[in-house]
Amino acid sequence: MTTRAASSPGVSLRKDSARRGAPFARVLIANRGEIALRIIRACHELGSEAVAVYSDADAQSLHVRAADEAVRIGPASPTASYLRVDAIVAAALKSGAQAVHPGYGFLSERAELAEACQEAGLVFVGPDPAALRGLGDKLAARATASAAGVPVVPGTLEPLRLEQDGSPPPAVLEDAERIGWPLLVKAAGGGGGRGMRRVESARALPEAVASAAREASAAFGDATVYLERYVEGARHVEVQLLGDARGTIVALGERDCSVQRRHQKLVEEAPAPGLSEEQRVRLHELAVRVARGAGLSNAATAEFLLSPAGDFWFLEVNARLQVEHGVTELVADVDLVHEQLWLAAGQPLGAQVLAAAERAARPERHAIEVRLSAEDPANDFGPAPGTINRWRAPAGPAVRVDAGVELGSRVSADYDPLLAKLMVVGHDRPAALARLARALAEFEIGGIQTTLPFHRWLVGQPDFATGEGLATDLVDRLWHPRELVSRASLRAAELAALAASASPAVYPRPAVPGGGQADDAAARWWQQGISEALEDRR
Amino acid sequence: MSSAGRLRVTVLGAAGTTIQRTAAGRQGFPPAGRGELVIEQPAGPDEAGLSLRRFEVVTHGWRFEVVVEPAARAELREKAARAADSHSSQADVTLRAQIPGRVVRLWVSEGEQVEQGQRLLAVEAMKMENEVRAPHGGVVRGLRVTLEQTVERGDELLRIG
Repeated sequence: MTTRAASSPGVSLRKDSARRGAPFARVLIANRGEIALRIIRACHELGSEAVAVYSDADAQSLHVRAADEAVRIGPASPTASYLRVDAIVAAALKSGAQAVHPGYGFLSERAELAEACQEAGLVFVGPDPAALRGLGDKLAARATASAAGVPVVPGTLEPLRLEQDGSPPPAVLEDAERIGWPLLVKAAGGGGGRGMRRVESARALPEAVASAAREASAAFGDATVYLERYVEGARHVEVQLLGDARGTIVALGERDCSVQRRHQKLVEEAPAPGLSEEQRVRLHELAVRVARGAGLSNAATAEFLLSPAGDFWFLEVNARLQVEHGVTELVADVDLVHEQLWLAAGQPLGAQVLAAAERAARPERHAIEVRLSAEDPANDFGPAPGTINRWRAPAGPAVRVDAGVELGSRVSADYDPLLAKLMVVGHDRPAALARLARALAEFEIGGIQTTLPFHRWLVGQPDFATGEGLATDLVDRLWHPRELVSRASLRAAELAALAASASPAVYPRPAVPGGGQADDAAARWWQQGISEALEDRR
Repeated sequence: MSSAGRLRVTVLGAAGTTIQRTAAGRQGFPPAGRGELVIEQPAGPDEAGLSLRRFEVVTHGWRFEVVVEPAARAELREKAARAADSHSSQADVTLRAQIPGRVVRLWVSEGEQVEQGQRLLAVEAMKMENEVRAPHGGVVRGLRVTLEQTVERGDELLRIG
């Protein structure tokens, strides 16, 4: 290697030339649904064999069929299958896998799985157990960030000390007054909004602290709670990080995930709209500092609040692949799962990643993802399980659909309601939005209610389209679907009347003696033809 | 076209919405457009002979179940129901087998007083038991079946008087 090559920024042919063959011969994927499929695809692209695991509810599912081998790990209930460290490790050993990729959710951030893999001689695709432990505790993560000179959301850095009866002592009330109202009571072991309470005044604090602690104890086995300021009108931004075993850590750009409901993200985009290059450089630098302080490696995401005043406040680190990693891939032109596998195999960060990190503060593309879930957006995004009887996903230029379901899939109430992620990319945000609107109009899903109508509505909202109303309270503020539902139901009545009267020869169907109706195959064929003609009229 | 006549359309949908409207059939409605779905579904087991049709309709991403029947028919049915209510006595109803199968349970006997919704008997088909329940209160008359008897679809099972 010449001196010149070594000094040119981030480019070294020798590094990538080590990436010959596959990082691992076999990889076990300890997950299900769209993310299992996503990781299986990466394995196959790299020449690795993929081993799936499945519960009884998933025996026929897409990820099982896509894998080279599949191992049953238990009944439908997650605690009896996908959350069992022993079953995952046993499946990996039995199938001859060298590495375990945990995906997101389930066991992805459990130090116990990483440790069990180590002990069994398997490679865990993710940060090491110590980093996972440090970051899994949100209070510890806040302390780490604070020590690294990264501003954290104002609040307490120590666990709240409660009285014997679970009520907060006067000192806690003093802390609360110092932080200001409204504030959040948060669980140190929390995630997904559980163990979190918004408190408006001192009077409501004792009950909120007690109930958050109870919920946290039940959900995470840890009743530790702390206080954090509630930042009004804030945006949620996060930075994608990759790190290798040598301690090199880079930021691959940021995402905006402000469109949320009940602390669940609905839409994510990269880059975050409206940031200056200076803001991006600063944000990425803060994220890398937290990661360094936490001893992070492999892939992780640092989450921040962006206040209306333009300040970044550290929230937490997710030490795993994120659901929304795809938008970063589309903008940065890096395959994050490929990188995770190479990094886990001990390779340093590749030249392509280093080059992408160099460009990260000057993005030249814009990508948006919407999460299609089996939820009823007219009913507070409540679960809407069922069987999919129609599935036609959009396609065409710059559209990516990562789906875990297909026609005929049964969407069980046992698991996360995420069906598919629709991603689009364009040269700028307006181009991406236009493409998203087009792709959403193409999407046809039957058999279950999904979040599709919400997304179609959102792309037409000025607050979202201009990016100026982006804030974590956007959905609560603007989503009032009663009018939309009632208009759609009138249209549904028209369509059904049309379909019924389009086949008058068989309507009403003649009754037969003894009850029932004429089972006339020809008539049914004709009706079918009419229905299809109606559907296909464009 | 007049043979189709006016239609009663009942929309059951998102957020528990139910709307009823009487439509003039195909006149004036634009056909299904891009992203709109109309899928006919099989009628439920209790609906054979009622000449109603079920559709799943998806429009603007919202999913509805829609029941369509001739308006004249619906009005007759409602009139009958009102009359039954006002006289507080129910007409005789003949219950017929909705599926072919074997009678595997018989919870009632001739002349027994039953309440609305009470289980009467069960027919097994494809390893699934299908319970037949009383549509309204009354007395079991004309019990035609016994345990283990095989029935065809449409066979008379019993009358509630």
